[in-house]
Amino acid sequence: MSEGVEILERRLDRLRVAVREAVIAGERDRASALRRELRQAEQEWEQALAQAAESLPRAGEPGVSGSQAGGPRAAVGGGDSPLLPLREQVYEALALLAVPAAPRLIATVHEAFFATTFPGSKLTSLKRDEERSFRTAPYARPYYICAALTADLLAPARGLLAVSTWPMECRVIGSLSPRVDFLTAAINVAAAVERLTQPVPAARRLLWRFAASIPGAAEDANRIDPRRVIHAAEAEREVHEPGDREARGAGARRAREQLDEVQQLFGAPLRTAATQAGRTQGRRA
Amino acid sequence: MKGTEARLARIRGRAVPRNHNARTIAALASNPGCARRAILDAAGVDKQRIAAFTGFPAPFGQSRFALARGNAFEAQLKAEGAAQLLALLREQLNLPIPKAHYDDLTEVGGNTSPELRHARTKSLLLGIARNTGDNGTMFDHPLLRLEVGGRYAYLEPDLIAFRVEGKFSVVEVKSFPVIDGQADGEKVAAAAIQSAVYVLALRDLLGDPGAVHHETILVCPENFSSRPVAAKLDVRKQLAVLCRQLSRLARIDDLLGLLPPGLTFDLDPDDAGVPRREPADLAGAIRTVGARYAPECLNTCEMCFFCRDEARDDTARLGKSTREELGGIEHIAAVLGFARGTGAPDPALAEAAVTLRAAARLRADVLGEAV
Repeated sequence: MSEGVEILERRLDRLRVAVREAVIAGERDRASALRRELRQAEQEWEQALAQAAESLPRAGEPGVSGSQAGGPRAAVGGGDSPLLPLREQVYEALALLAVPAAPRLIATVHEAFFATTFPGSKLTSLKRDEERSFRTAPYARPYYICAALTADLLAPARGLLAVSTWPMECRVIGSLSPRVDFLTAAINVAAAVERLTQPVPAARRLLWRFAASIPGAAEDANRIDPRRVIHAAEAEREVHEPGDREARGAGARRAREQLDEVQQLFGAPLRTAATQAGRTQGRRA
Repeated sequence: MKGTEARLARIRGRAVPRNHNARTIAALASNPGCARRAILDAAGVDKQRIAAFTGFPAPFGQSRFALARGNAFEAQLKAEGAAQLLALLREQLNLPIPKAHYDDLTEVGGNTSPELRHARTKSLLLGIARNTGDNGTMFDHPLLRLEVGGRYAYLEPDLIAFRVEGKFSVVEVKSFPVIDGQADGEKVAAAAIQSAVYVLALRDLLGDPGAVHHETILVCPENFSSRPVAAKLDVRKQLAVLCRQLSRLARIDDLLGLLPPGLTFDLDPDDAGVPRREPADLAGAIRTVGARYAPECLNTCEMCFFCRDEARDDTARLGKSTREELGGIEHIAAVLGFARGTGAPDPALAEAAVTLRAAARLRADVLGEAV
């Protein structure tokens, strides 16, 4: 297998020299033909390399199984090319958290429980793509990665992603919601850590990140008890929940009444933000 | 006011205006007599650019790495509804558990225009200050406004926390480390004066000085980790200094009245943005606005090297205390003249001249060399 790759590499070198000579000699047609050949050879080289990587025995490095974390499967593929498209990976992480989350947290959760990660910056265009897809064929997909809405203006909340199948109350963000969602996420992450059959350092680190900001959840990064985290988070959540439920309920009702289908998923358009802000201020004053 | 705006726009020329921020206000307040800085800042001139163009580039401003580190640290603190910051505030301010609200004021429904953000900040904070209900704790990036030299400047503190006894506290996130409980004194001092600017602006917005606590909270990374640690800073002294300096700041209109009408710092860029103006011509224009150089400017102002060069023969260049030791004489040449006994002293400076002469003699006796 590796021999084939080497032969291809020599061919690539020869082709590059030929392209350069053709370009310098000003032979445009020949240069473009050679370029085509070069591209094809490069593709063949990539394929040969992928095959070579697959045929290697994969020792150690088990990859965390999705069933352990409650997800449907695990991405145990070759690292560079995950088996699932990005939107489905995001869905997996969001389904585990069960609350709207920021791209960075989504990436960390996916790394901890599904063994593959992606740069958080890749998610910036995802919401836009999903919106476009929804606009061209509404409900053609079983779910969409969509926005969380601010309770006051019903505009997309900055930097939060959610899943379209969640109830509206879950996707509306009031002023207490970030805290309630943080605690809910902590509970869900702790439960997922508890289900793991073997300790996964990345998952424990993630749990510690949550536990450190919850009073009475854990004292030490090395000794975290998921049950205790769940208990502490539930205790604090009980305090905030009534107020939060009220704000979210009111926001969700307004969203259902005032917004069309697309806006319910992706937020009210920005151009009306100024007028809406004026209206809200009028109401407040 | 319209005339002032037009005048300032003319002074700035075609460059994009740079806005005042807490740093520039703090710097301005530390040298309120400097008309040059007041005019350049009010007009929003890119001082770094014109200083470099006239041949005095200042190694000034935050490094890209420091900025990136600062942003990453702040993002970490504010992730997930400012979870880390909330834990710190609970420790520092004894926030009760139910106070965990978080309002993001970085944008209003996706719109980031300063007027809109300021209006939203104002309505939210005033609403909370006036009724006693529990409906706000942390306000992320509110937009405040402060009048500086007759014009409004927008200011953006990192966070405002609403505490139990009905008072607001300004929280400032900085990325310089606190090592072993100690932080760089100069940086803490700079943070304190910046926080004081925010406190002042917030008091102005609420219209009630008692509603904002004079203790601000500084959050920095601990030791060499990225774990946050919080400390309270009492900014009463900085507030007093700031109030006095801001009230002394000459109004921009008065300063503009003293300048030649056609004055501009425009670099006269061609279509590709390459400046066509002669550096010497620009330097001449800058010199028409009086500066007050002091060695402290080296820490705070982009024009420092230009002004220092200009103040070559000025005793102010040596610092305030040295100038006083030299009897308040303005020029270095005059000081040396008196010491050598060559200058004919003004009757008012006769005493200083005698002292300088004596000092020169002592120096010659000890070191065996004349001044």
